[in-house]
Amino acid sequence: MAKIGIISFAHMHAQSYAACLNALPNAELAGIWDDDAKRGRKMAREFGAKFVGNLDKLLASDIDGVIICSENMKHRSMVEAAAKAGKWILCEKPLAPTVKEAKEMIALCKKAGVGLGTAFPCRFAPTLMDARAQIQSGAFGEILAISATNNGTCPFDWFVDEKLSGGGATMDHTVHVADVLRWIMEKEFTKVYCEKGNLLHKKEIKTDDVGMLNLEMEGGIQVSHIASWSRAKSYPTWGDVTLEFIGTGGVLNVDAFNQKVNVYCDATMSTEWAPYGDNPDMGLVGDFVNACDERIAPSVTGEDGLRATEVTVAAYKSAKSQKMVKI
Amino acid sequence: MFSNRQQQVATGKHKAMNVALIGCSGMGRVHAEMAANCGLKIAICADKSRKAASELAAKYGAKVMTDGFKAAASPDIDIVAIATPTTTHLMFIEAAAKAGKHIFCEKPFCRTVAECKKAIAAAKKAKVKLFVGHVVRYFHEFEAMKAQIEAGKIGEPGYVKIYRGGLFPGGPKSWFANYEMSGGVTFDCAIHDMDWVRYVFGEPERIFCQALMRSKPHLMDYSQSNIRLKNGMIATIIGTWAHPSGFQVKAEICGDGGMIQYDSKEAPISTLMRDTGDGPSMVVPGSPVAESPYQREWEDFIAWVQDNRTPRVTPEDGMIAVKMAEAALKSAKTGKPVKL
Repeated sequence: MAKIGIISFAHMHAQSYAACLNALPNAELAGIWDDDAKRGRKMAREFGAKFVGNLDKLLASDIDGVIICSENMKHRSMVEAAAKAGKWILCEKPLAPTVKEAKEMIALCKKAGVGLGTAFPCRFAPTLMDARAQIQSGAFGEILAISATNNGTCPFDWFVDEKLSGGGATMDHTVHVADVLRWIMEKEFTKVYCEKGNLLHKKEIKTDDVGMLNLEMEGGIQVSHIASWSRAKSYPTWGDVTLEFIGTGGVLNVDAFNQKVNVYCDATMSTEWAPYGDNPDMGLVGDFVNACDERIAPSVTGEDGLRATEVTVAAYKSAKSQKMVKI
Repeated sequence: MFSNRQQQVATGKHKAMNVALIGCSGMGRVHAEMAANCGLKIAICADKSRKAASELAAKYGAKVMTDGFKAAASPDIDIVAIATPTTTHLMFIEAAAKAGKHIFCEKPFCRTVAECKKAIAAAKKAKVKLFVGHVVRYFHEFEAMKAQIEAGKIGEPGYVKIYRGGLFPGGPKSWFANYEMSGGVTFDCAIHDMDWVRYVFGEPERIFCQALMRSKPHLMDYSQSNIRLKNGMIATIIGTWAHPSGFQVKAEICGDGGMIQYDSKEAPISTLMRDTGDGPSMVVPGSPVAESPYQREWEDFIAWVQDNRTPRVTPEDGMIAVKMAEAALKSAKTGKPVKL
């Protein structure tokens, strides 16, 4: 049994993690702190948990670990506080907007002897686990090229405020795919070229909302990736994660969240895709709870978060210099 | 009671003219049929392979030739249609222009911009019309997407992605397998979409591209282009000749007020053939239209030749498409973006 606290509900994924903690038999959502106290109290009521008005108080309590879902720029200081209090940490992605901060966070956790995990739930999606098994079985031979997308609707709010997010869609929607491809291929990214821009929300936001990346992985595998907040408000779902693997033995296509039934609703005059697939967050949170219980590192580590951040940082550098950048 | 009145495909509105076709496999066969549907006479079928020329000539009662230059210069010919490997386009264009013939040239226009310039100069000097078959501009689904954009349905477009391809064309001995000659999927296939992106959204600023161009253990090419347009838009163009079977086209256009998606797999006709022991079954998606896009490009070309009506594709358009594809290949080779 592990007692887990949640630090900040700024990132909407916190709500899903809270629900997972409540659903898991070996976990307890033991406390919530949020620098937006109003939001924190509301969430505490919603998930039947205790709101703690002071972060130090939460960290001084008998909780085993914390899930941090603050704005990206606040990750580092909150990780530092939790590590110093000896708590296990699951940090929302991106681990940090900069390589320096990510490295510092890893070092702090190492020094404190606590486990640090990065919240990459895609690793727990059965569709992507299946794709990984198929690629690793060797049935598709040598993988020579990959095309990926991670499209979504614009999240607005602090996500589009660079002072709090550290970057736009290119950061937000590259880290998942970067991590998934590292995990499936068991190879690192070596180079990236990137074109990005605010192309679809010129009047509303200042950050980039589309990033088109050309990357290389070890062994010269050519990879293209589209990171975007391009889904229309009227689109039937939030977005996608798609991958096309070109191998000497064949082609594997993944549309990771294409587990849906089509719903045509007259009352709302809308078309919706109702999902039926498993919730990958259950696997992610379950893994973290087990890590807290057993005092071991979570499966998806801080180093994994760092590797993904290295990719996005290099992508932004490339977009500025218009050159391919080494990772 | 079970028969429809025969649909008239040929318009018959054009004056009869004589066509010499150079290159009688693949696209050559398509162009012969389209030209005939326009009411033109296929007078000469020329191909290095006498067999290929004879087979097609028999269908139209045409003369068989193995020398393309001779075909291009034959006195009773009005139009020369060229459907040979890309690297041979220029010499046949020059021969046809010199003989005063109008020219229909399959895309890609030529293998290099320098060749395109020579071809345009030759046609200008001879005062003949030179058309490049960028047929995607005439595809109904692409017209429909363009019309939706122009109707403002998705607001101001900011991002476009087009995906096209399937299995490697021709066999191992086909000229497509010679990457220097064909330019691979980037130059021969993705060029369609480079042209369409420019046609609909405007001029390109720079291109970055990765291309596979493999010969072993299989012939495989896979191309990922990242194009910045002068107006700031980003275009992704993916071309594949790396699939073991099939053919698919997908398009997605995102604007500040909506999105458009198209996928050729969502076709009105698809078939599954029972395995009779003769080989694997096939899945062939189809989207029949009364007038094929190839027919419409020929109608457009002939209206230019006969009525001086400006066609949808100019030789300069064909040249800029070559410029884009050349830049993409250069980028793939150097690992650097190429400015246009």
